[in-house]
Amino acid sequence: MPQLKGGISGQAHHLPGDSGVWTFIIADMGAFAMFFLVFTAGRMASPDLFEASRQHLDATLGLLNTLILLTSSLFMVKAVEAARAGERGAVQRNLALTILIGLGFAVTKIMEYKAKGAAGIGLTTNEFYTYYFAFTGIHFLHFIIGIGALLMMVAKARRDLLDAKFVTWIESVGCYWHMVDLLWIMLFPLLYLLRAG
Amino acid sequence: MSGKVDTRYWRFCAWMGPVFVAIFYYCWGVLGHNFPPFSPDAPASEVAGYFRDHRDGVRLGMVIAMTAAPCYGVWGYALAKVMEHTVGGDNPSGNLMVQLARLGAAWTTITVLVPTSFWLTAAFRPDALPDWMIQMLYDMAWLLIDLAYAVTSVQLFALGVGFMADKRAVPLVPKWLAWYGIWVGFMFIAECLMPYFMNGAFARSGILNFWIEFLIWMAWVPVLTVYALKAITRIEQEHAAA
Repeated sequence: MPQLKGGISGQAHHLPGDSGVWTFIIADMGAFAMFFLVFTAGRMASPDLFEASRQHLDATLGLLNTLILLTSSLFMVKAVEAARAGERGAVQRNLALTILIGLGFAVTKIMEYKAKGAAGIGLTTNEFYTYYFAFTGIHFLHFIIGIGALLMMVAKARRDLLDAKFVTWIESVGCYWHMVDLLWIMLFPLLYLLRAG
Repeated sequence: MSGKVDTRYWRFCAWMGPVFVAIFYYCWGVLGHNFPPFSPDAPASEVAGYFRDHRDGVRLGMVIAMTAAPCYGVWGYALAKVMEHTVGGDNPSGNLMVQLARLGAAWTTITVLVPTSFWLTAAFRPDALPDWMIQMLYDMAWLLIDLAYAVTSVQLFALGVGFMADKRAVPLVPKWLAWYGIWVGFMFIAECLMPYFMNGAFARSGILNFWIEFLIWMAWVPVLTVYALKAITRIEQEHAAA
């Protein structure tokens, strides 16, 4: 049976997580930045179409999703802090809350997609909805991978020593989870709130 | 590890990656009018007209591209050889990653060869074919080469995982490059949207599904080759010192 308490303390300031994960995060943010440029170019070309389509999106659900992800991220931070302190119980509890609250995002997103489907709106309805479904869909895929990574961390938190290696793992997953958050924070105003000037 | 390691053919095989990209770019891309491709909403007469007017160029391009396609697989095997020294090719999990990296490279070769033969078919007797049929062959080739992305993702993921497992203080292949490969494999998923669009960013000729997707993959090949060549030298030195 592995040692239940380990933990590390007194670390110098460092880039959290595995350094390579940041390559993925920066490249991915670059891809989304490109998505936003493509969207902006489309919006400049057809402001009326984009504005009319935007009004059919439910900004309240978008805001709810933002709050869900931010709250979920808060517990992620607590889980990382607990890992650094070597508190296994707190790591497991906070990871479970991160996942549980995060799953609310999936529920609202699926509700939103279903409502759009019921209204006869799909990927090829118009340019705005192409971007809406493509960008939120790719973001949703990031979310699912994040949930998978969090579940893996729950399993690791049960059996592994809470040592420096574990902290690197949980920091890496935490950075990724915050990126999922950050991308949504950028997607939400762009798709749901930004009015044609 | 002990004594000298036999790396006689490794560098030659590793060079096949950049050779493949250079040949494929010119023969498939420039001669075949695939870099960038015709937009899906281009009229059939425009596509058919190109194949009729440039049949010899397209045939030459596709014949050379098909001949060079195995270079990608050869390159992939060289990378898998290097990866044996980062992931531990003789342990079962490491070996699984090595096998997957080889399989992904071999499968990618097939997904280059087969659609290339469709473009070649369109240029074989274009005067006897109606415009729509040439367009259909062109579309079919593009749908296959784009939607076969997942087999290359297998190679990208396996190499990423394998290179990341390197326990050396200075890894043979830097972690950022291992992660970059995983990101490329992941980004390919945007190709799933390609069959739904006749124009715009997600169309086969669009900024996302053509320019970004192809360039991030084509850039990965020579950059990884540079590190693979350096890694071969380091593997030789490690064995010589042991």
